[in-house]
Amino acid sequence: MGSNVRHTNEPQQPALGLAAVLPPKQDEKAEPAKVDWLNLPCPVPFEEIQREAFMSLKPELFEGLRFDFTKGLNQKFSLSHSVFMGSTELPSQSSDTIKVPTAHYEFGANFLDPKLMLVGRVLADGRLNARVKCDLTDNLTLKINAQLTNEPHFSQGMFNFDYKGKDYRTQFQIGNNAFYGANYIQSVSPHLSLGSEIFWLGQQRKSGIGFAARYNTDKMVATAQIASTGILALSYVQKVSEKVRNLLKFLENFNAQNLYSHKKFWHLQVSLASDFMYNHLTRDVTSSFGYDYILRQCRLRGKLDSNGVIAACLEERLNMGVNFILSAEVDHRKKDYKFGFGLTVGE
Amino acid sequence: MASKVSFKGKGKAAAKGADERSAAKCMKEWSTWAMKKAKVITHYGFIPLIIVIGMNSEPKPQLYQLLSPV
Repeated sequence: MGSNVRHTNEPQQPALGLAAVLPPKQDEKAEPAKVDWLNLPCPVPFEEIQREAFMSLKPELFEGLRFDFTKGLNQKFSLSHSVFMGSTELPSQSSDTIKVPTAHYEFGANFLDPKLMLVGRVLADGRLNARVKCDLTDNLTLKINAQLTNEPHFSQGMFNFDYKGKDYRTQFQIGNNAFYGANYIQSVSPHLSLGSEIFWLGQQRKSGIGFAARYNTDKMVATAQIASTGILALSYVQKVSEKVRNLLKFLENFNAQNLYSHKKFWHLQVSLASDFMYNHLTRDVTSSFGYDYILRQCRLRGKLDSNGVIAACLEERLNMGVNFILSAEVDHRKKDYKFGFGLTVGE
Repeated sequence: MASKVSFKGKGKAAAKGADERSAAKCMKEWSTWAMKKAKVITHYGFIPLIIVIGMNSEPKPQLYQLLSPV
């Protein structure tokens, strides 16, 4: 009883002692808001649970020359032309890497509407890559993803029906070769969401089940995924921004001349990511560590792997709409070195 | 007599079973044919479909903008 009385009196007491002398604390550590268990936020879709980790740890690395040109005819409609000349790696059983020099031209058309999104890319040899996303109602979305080739029996397609509820999301998938899958993810607290998925492959008569958990705050995201295919995947992403910016500003005042050229560091957002994957069937363990610097003029991503792979990817904005891309991947174990450069014109 | 009736009954059931099996086979053949046609139509028609939808959206772009690089 006494403790209750003290608790209700606290906010009305005038500030005494040290509290009156010091300035009031900034709102960094606001009073923890009361959790409204009936109004939890909607979780991220199940396949994007590790989205932040993938953005840092799996950049688009390529080998050779890449040139992309996107021409917008309209707010919603644009055409794209893309040229690639370089090597692509063929999957091989042995530890040697087999690279095949390839060159191709790809034509694409995009139509982006709030309710309907159509993206199509066709290569010169007739392979079509199609993506459709359609909002059937406010909460129900249909997504179609297809790769069609001229050779028979090599085409793939997948239909996804997504339903978004108040604090849950559910998805049902139908794919070719009689693939059926479903997943469900639910927010159980303002920061924690849990999900699970099942799938069934008709042709090989295989089925699987998996569970995932994601804990995120403003500054960090931690995820864990385990599947009956024998895979365990953990990841952790930390966002570092304000403090590093203040440190750099301090250093600049201290040594103004040298750091003046680093003006672009003022708008700085850094993410550090780490990832751990264990495959029980092949007894394969991989862990990687990566960083993602988003600056005003460029974006630099890099990663370091336990397989002896070091990779980096730089996208530099030269001018309005012109981006210069550099990509490098060095695999010390397999002695495989890949370097690529390219230019992206248009949005 | 009873054996004759039962024999006839079995014959009828077998005929019905064969009918059902051929109906299922027919459905499967038609659906495979339909999927093949749908795949060819999508393969050739998807990009032209996007271009037609895009050219008819507001504000309508001009035809020369499709080909010129500016």
